Amino acid sequence: MKNRLLPAVLFTLGVLFLFFPILIVAPMSFSGDRFLGFPPESWGLIWYEAYFSDPVWLAATWRSLRVAAVSALIATLAGTAAVVGLTRLSRRWRAGFTGLMLAPAIVPNVIVALGIFMLALRFGSTDSEVTLIFAHAAVGLPFVVMIVGAAYRQTDPTLEKAARVFGAGPLRAFWTATVPPLVPAIAAAFIFAFFVSFDELVIALFLMGGSETLPVRIWNDLRFEINPTIAAISTFFVIVTALAMGLAEFLRARATRKQGNS
Amino acid sequence: MTGSLTAMRFGRHFPLIPALALVFAMFAVPVAFVFVEAVFAPEFSLAHFDRFFTRSVYLTVYWNTLFVSATVASICLLIGYPMALFIVGQPERRRPLLLFLVLVPLWMSILVRTYAWMVVLGREGIVNSALLWTGIIDQPMTLMFTTGSVYVAMVQILLPIMVVTCYSAMTEIDPGLVRAARVCGAPPFAAFRRVFLPLSLEGALTGWSVIFILSMGFFIVPALVGGRRDVLLGNMIVNQIAQANWGFAAAMAIVLLVSTVVLLALVRLVAARFLYSPREV
Repeated sequence: MKNRLLPAVLFTLGVLFLFFPILIVAPMSFSGDRFLGFPPESWGLIWYEAYFSDPVWLAATWRSLRVAAVSALIATLAGTAAVVGLTRLSRRWRAGFTGLMLAPAIVPNVIVALGIFMLALRFGSTDSEVTLIFAHAAVGLPFVVMIVGAAYRQTDPTLEKAARVFGAGPLRAFWTATVPPLVPAIAAAFIFAFFVSFDELVIALFLMGGSETLPVRIWNDLRFEINPTIAAISTFFVIVTALAMGLAEFLRARATRKQGNS
Repeated sequence: MTGSLTAMRFGRHFPLIPALALVFAMFAVPVAFVFVEAVFAPEFSLAHFDRFFTRSVYLTVYWNTLFVSATVASICLLIGYPMALFIVGQPERRRPLLLFLVLVPLWMSILVRTYAWMVVLGREGIVNSALLWTGIIDQPMTLMFTTGSVYVAMVQILLPIMVVTCYSAMTEIDPGLVRAARVCGAPPFAAFRRVFLPLSLEGALTGWSVIFILSMGFFIVPALVGGRRDVLLGNMIVNQIAQANWGFAAAMAIVLLVSTVVLLALVRLVAARFLYSPREV
């Protein structure tokens, strides 16, 4: 009995440690006090009001959402196509190209940010949302290649061949036979790539001098004071993220389960 | 004829082109440019590297970065391995939920989680308020801007990755092997130590390496909750960029990248030598 209880207690402590920050920040965001104190003396939504009525915070939020949506779209399209393209290569080339496409997830973003910033300075493309979108797409690409690649390896290649035998052109065969079972994985990949961009600080910090993204705004704010507005924003986005990621995880799990059964 | 053949080959490999273009333009070329800038700014010299490796200020930060990364990865391993072990020991139906619990914090932005630790550990933060209120202390303790707070925040941020990596390695292990050891008379702990542990070590090592790599590039946590002495290489690079010292920033970025790669190769080599070498039992 003792042997079964101890690991469970340790696991629970570990999970509590992981959840600790949000368990603290969420209640604080509903504080009605002017200053952060614990426990709050009164409750209210003043910090949410402060967030939703501040044009600077809102502009940063919209910019982040825009950049994340477009860069995730680019990463998902390019990454999904690449997964298909990679399988057509010889083993050696495949390993090399896969490594290259996964590399942005491993090399620290600071280094990528420095390189992109120096190049952008030369080409005069700093402070441009377009540059930031493509930079974020490259950082999100590895996750798309990993997630869609794992699902693609489980699909049945004979389906596409069968479609070809029955007279479908290569594009049509791909679109009608190979893509449908991949849709959940592609959706999950999009959501992951979205949050990779939505969270990314350092590339945006250098590249986007005047026009801040949400992480940059939070970063600039945190260096000077612990603003309770950030507690409200954090809680708001933790809820949004949890819902979106829960959906992504659900789609991914369903995709693998379905393929495992058939 | 050859023309159409080339066209066919091009068509076959066309799906790769957008992703390769993206990786080249926004990753490979910028990183290569950092290498160039490190030695050619303004003209060819290794002065930036010389400066880095001869001034004690930079060397201290360098060793500190290696030390903090290795320590964070090791703490994560010590906590994460038993957590993964616990999940694997549960009935299969319950595992996804437990794994989900570990993964949820991973979806919170690193900035947000660091902010939470600032709120918790600050001078008027929750830990201090609670301890003052209960009367355990009568003066607020300094918890923020200490090395300890950097470790706590970094471990909290990176721990889920360790659990997931260990877990996926453990699910690959055939449970029949441990059962066989038990049937052959091994006591539970011996069966674990001689059969399960060696088989799961590769996953544990992968987790350690991933967390080490990620830690090496950290700069948000040390900047916000660390003190003056907890500066990491990432912070120095960011500071140099802010001051437009391109060459030196680039040189430090190269040192960061090359040390990470060399150290991981070393870890793999040592591991291959001592962990996986076939030996008589």
